[in-house]
Amino acid sequence: MDDNIRSREIKETIDKYPEVGRILDEYGIGCVPCSVGSCFLSEVVGIHNLDPQTEATLMYRIEKAIYPDRDIPEPKVDMTRKPTQKKINYSPAVKNLVEEHVLIKRLLAMIPSITDYVETSAEVDKDLIMGCVDFIRGYADKFHHMKEEDILFKYVDEQGEIIQVMYKDHETGRNHIRQVVEGTESGNKAQIKEHLLGYRELLTQHIKKEDEILYPWIDRQLTDTQVGELFQKCSAADASVGEELPRRYEKFIIDLERKFLKEVSK
Amino acid sequence: MSDCCPGSRTMDFSEKTDQGDTETGQRQSQLRQWPIQLHLVSPQAPYFQEKDILLVADCVPFALADFHKDYLKGKSIAIGCPKLDSDQEVYVEKIKSLIDDSKINTLTVQIMQVPCCSGLVQVAKAGADKATRKIPIKQVVVGLEGDILSEEWI
Repeated sequence: MDDNIRSREIKETIDKYPEVGRILDEYGIGCVPCSVGSCFLSEVVGIHNLDPQTEATLMYRIEKAIYPDRDIPEPKVDMTRKPTQKKINYSPAVKNLVEEHVLIKRLLAMIPSITDYVETSAEVDKDLIMGCVDFIRGYADKFHHMKEEDILFKYVDEQGEIIQVMYKDHETGRNHIRQVVEGTESGNKAQIKEHLLGYRELLTQHIKKEDEILYPWIDRQLTDTQVGELFQKCSAADASVGEELPRRYEKFIIDLERKFLKEVSK
Repeated sequence: MSDCCPGSRTMDFSEKTDQGDTETGQRQSQLRQWPIQLHLVSPQAPYFQEKDILLVADCVPFALADFHKDYLKGKSIAIGCPKLDSDQEVYVEKIKSLIDDSKINTLTVQIMQVPCCSGLVQVAKAGADKATRKIPIKQVVVGLEGDILSEEWI
């Protein structure tokens, strides 16, 4: 495949050749809904760690979709590359980050019930919404995202498009939450709903990308020495906020689930 | 002998036709310490301080052709046999001391695929459980013919 395709922004390629988006989707590479799409095709395919035969076939099909009349040679397979491990084995620090996602996803799961509740209430329950904002800012952002930004992402090329997409997601999430706070202060239910649901959609995709693609990709690049260092740095970051903080936020989620999971099951 | 435990069952691989590449020249040993047997080493030895450590079952380096290049390079080592060695509670205490006193960075436990070899992983876990510090521990399982069957953080 020529470098012109490999080194072109993926969104530009998909916009021009929608079939490429459909092919990527078939291989579980979800670039079509990505809000940024500035990664290069070569980066996008490389990060998914497909086995050599699958990757060669994928690139062949993409090239054929772009240049249907071109005589393209059969895919060449690099047999020296190790095949993909099906089960993801995270290093310990990264595994802890994946486990933190679980608590965040428990809040995301309740957001539709929370926005329904806000809509049907006479007045905006400010304590409820600001409690969610506090969880998102204190746990999801400060406790969790900061470990990514200050520690984990330093182990790869931070200027790379893939990491830049993650930074952009974090920033978009912060903007949604600013809008939620503004809506809460002014009693604007539509604004709260729009931005809480927007945050939910963003973080759902963001967490999926990290758990399934980004974290395994970073782990594959780490030496054992770096795995040890990363673990100690993340442990030190956790220790600096104390054990009470994650416990407090877990209790907040449990209490919220008591209220909203009951509402759902009624 | 064919019905005995997999750890001591007689097997012969001499018929293997694929002998790999013919190598020329001499390789450098990557061993940077002595002693290496877990009963003989002091867990507070200078060569363990803040290092990545290999805890290797005795048989592993014989099976794994590129042991020096792929695993030993840049690491310190202790070896033992979970089936034959005595006083393994001493091993547990030494692992604890490696983690707490020598502040090792990671521990990679390399074992053979035979069931009795997993005892070395249990020793490592027991030592890590007793330690105050927490560190990443990796398990590498080596096949009888020298292939890597699995490599994962546990």
